[in-house]
Amino acid sequence: MSERWWQRPEGGGRVGLWLIFTLARCCGRPLTRLILYPVTLYFYVRRGQERRAARVLLARLGHRSGTWAAMAHMHRYASTLLDRVFFLAHGARGFDIDAQGIDMLQEVFARGRGVLLVGAHMGSFEVLRTLALNAPDAPPLRIVLAKQQTPVMTRLLASLAPQVSADIIDASGDPVSVVLALSESLQQGHQVALLGDRGHPGESMRPVPFCGRPAPFPVGPWTLAGALGVPVVLCQGLYLGGNRYRVVFELFADRVELPRKQRGPALDALMTRYAARLEYFARQAPCNWFNFYDFWDEDADDGAGDGGRGL
Amino acid sequence: MSEKTPPEHALAELIVESLNLEDVSADAIDPEAPLFGGELGLDSIDALEIALAVSRRYGFQLRSDNPDNQHIFSSLRALSAHIEKHRVQ
Repeated sequence: MSERWWQRPEGGGRVGLWLIFTLARCCGRPLTRLILYPVTLYFYVRRGQERRAARVLLARLGHRSGTWAAMAHMHRYASTLLDRVFFLAHGARGFDIDAQGIDMLQEVFARGRGVLLVGAHMGSFEVLRTLALNAPDAPPLRIVLAKQQTPVMTRLLASLAPQVSADIIDASGDPVSVVLALSESLQQGHQVALLGDRGHPGESMRPVPFCGRPAPFPVGPWTLAGALGVPVVLCQGLYLGGNRYRVVFELFADRVELPRKQRGPALDALMTRYAARLEYFARQAPCNWFNFYDFWDEDADDGAGDGGRGL
Repeated sequence: MSEKTPPEHALAELIVESLNLEDVSADAIDPEAPLFGGELGLDSIDALEIALAVSRRYGFQLRSDNPDNQHIFSSLRALSAHIEKHRVQ
């Protein structure tokens, strides 16, 4: 059985990441991007599981899935990771960003009820953060992330933007404190962002169709939105190559209703709609889907990722 | 199952009502059993619903920065003890 995403080690090693980080800070983006070619080749050779996952995904999205395509996919991923440094250090400066839905976002801010931004491991989350924070009248933004997953990267990026790091709600903390922190931020009218495509170990999941096959998605974001009655906005930050990004914010639900008796069907309907939007954007930009593991959980032999109602 | 004190019983009723637990009666909740992951099978979102109901009923907030949260939410008894210590109404 292949490993689930949280069992995979952080790539690159401390020295490698530090080197790229330092190069980026000293030499700028165009020069540092040259190093992504050998980096991509290194990961293509070293990370067999990610390589196979990339090819499966590309094929399901109807994209070419040969060696070059898989390498291009990994190169896109490496590019967005590198760009995090520039977004954190200089904001959107130097990038060509096609942003859609900022007006809608402003209207949602103006209601003062808080907003839950649901993204995915697709494209760049950093470009979304940059735009969501710099939109006119934007309230503070808190992001739910498992800091433990990429400790070296987390530390390096925190050194660039300490405030951004402080605004992270660490999802690897005690679950009750995590949901209470989310709720407190939303009640103050803040934006809270999380990624809705991956469940954490022990989290409750439901399978919904994604690219023609059922894939397990976490129910947490939707039960949370239901409990708090806040508007939900989907957001995608697609990397289009060069210095171009396309950012799309779209209102998904003004209020999520989950009647107790109909909770299962209501969740299925919401999550199917969410997965369909993800699929739509993934087909637009196949090399932006950054779940380099068995996303459909097809070779699970112990029901991992399909847990019951855990914490 | 050990006996519930009156405040514990009131809290059990609040939990059943706020979570709409149709198959569970307040009497059946063991005050010392784990609230989450155990027989009741509650999750962290249920914890949030409980926290919201507690703040409406008892007039104080369960806070995310309380380092004892894991203990406070460990059982009906622990939660009730915490509420009785901090309630304002």
